[in-house]
Amino acid sequence: MTLVDGVILVARRELRAYFDSPIAYITAAVFLVMAGTSFTNSFFLAGVIDMTPFFDTLPFLLIPFVPALTMRAWSEEHAQGTVELLLTLPLQPVQVVTGKYSAALLYYGLILAGSLPIVAMLLWLGEPDLGMIFCGYIGALLLGALFLAFGQFLSSLTHNQIVAFVLAALLASALVFSGHPSVVEVLDGLAPGWQAGTAVSGAVSCLPPYEAFVGGLIGLDHILYFVLMSAFFLWLTQVGLRRIQY
Amino acid sequence: MIRVDSVTRTYGAITAVDDITFGVERGQVVGFVGPNGAGKSTTLKMLATFLRPTAGTVAVDGFDAVADPLEVRRRIGYLPGDTPLYRDMIVADLVRFVAGAHGLAGADLQVAMSRAIDMCGIGPVMSLRVRECSTGFRQRVGLSCALVHDPPVLLLDEPTHGFDPLQVMAFRDLLTELKQDRAILFSTHIIADVEAVSDRVLIIHHGRLLGDGTLAELRQRAGLGDAGLEPIFAHLVSTFGEPA
Repeated sequence: MTLVDGVILVARRELRAYFDSPIAYITAAVFLVMAGTSFTNSFFLAGVIDMTPFFDTLPFLLIPFVPALTMRAWSEEHAQGTVELLLTLPLQPVQVVTGKYSAALLYYGLILAGSLPIVAMLLWLGEPDLGMIFCGYIGALLLGALFLAFGQFLSSLTHNQIVAFVLAALLASALVFSGHPSVVEVLDGLAPGWQAGTAVSGAVSCLPPYEAFVGGLIGLDHILYFVLMSAFFLWLTQVGLRRIQY
Repeated sequence: MIRVDSVTRTYGAITAVDDITFGVERGQVVGFVGPNGAGKSTTLKMLATFLRPTAGTVAVDGFDAVADPLEVRRRIGYLPGDTPLYRDMIVADLVRFVAGAHGLAGADLQVAMSRAIDMCGIGPVMSLRVRECSTGFRQRVGLSCALVHDPPVLLLDEPTHGFDPLQVMAFRDLLTELKQDRAILFSTHIIADVEAVSDRVLIIHHGRLLGDGTLAELRQRAGLGDAGLEPIFAHLVSTFGEPA
């Protein structure tokens, strides 16, 4: 069996588990309704043919949505004991972790694709900037990829799905809000000499690189931020799984 | 096929397995008996590569469980205690998933699945979800997952848990059939299972191996005439005393 075969095998099982669960359908429906509502509010009030309001709202919607997807990823395996079944199969940890992650990413991608009717509507009503919309979707995918990676890592630390959800939502909030202008301003104001808010925002927040995508810019540094951060959390998940053996 | 050499396993300050050594050869069924918390499951988990020994070495078919865990996993069929299975999966999908993880595909996969289904008698529940199966059937599904890739080594933790008397008899027949070209190590609380099918018995208590031999050898060592395994087990455990 090749490395990819193992990843596909695990991903297929995970994807089926997503579609077997009513929670996944409910969270997807709630997500799309909220995303659509936030978009239409701004769209009808401002009367502008673009998707910026949708992409601006997305990071805040993902704070509860992605942890709801990832909370069961590993904590359920621990709670039900199936981690013992999974980790005694002849699969490498990288295949198991990547397989689970790929399934979650694909599922998230499908839900994100559920917002494409908005694009169709804009095309029907006028001439939106398709380049900006494309960049926005790339940013949305990368942002979701990062949230899924740390969500799975945090899920691997506990047997309790609620704890996994809360930890992931807290980290997501920290990564998003640390880049929000009002938070940056407050933190900068606390220690004007240090510019702590600006430093934290530039160093760790996912909001500035994401907003660059939404603004139509695809920069290598922004891609690397998301890819490396996601890879880091997946690596941590693998390390955490190895620790079970000790 | 199975080698456990001077193995110790601790959980923090607790010593679950304390310097045990034994082996199981091809064609042997070895019963592993001991009270709750004696170290049976921990030993099987180490053989299955789920846990690492704190000291000593564990090997299957010449492959070290720590250095070559994938090679070990390819050679074992493992039924963990309490039979953890994906409860929301359809039984056929679960067995297919495990077979796929062992690299089976296409016609080989179909043949392997048919064989495992027949051996374990899970045909009637193949289209059900695991959570919809009775305890006995869930146990048999777990057993089919352990057998589907036709492994040379079987590690079974409390395999008859949840079986009715007829299923227990069928299981004993299955073990006798399977042992021809395999090494089988199974843990149990049920002394009758061990007496019925085991070529050798391992008695473990507080992590220490108190007895290793055929029923006749253990009987002779305990000086208990023609006693069954139960009095031998009770004698060894009572004379061992509590650990310091």
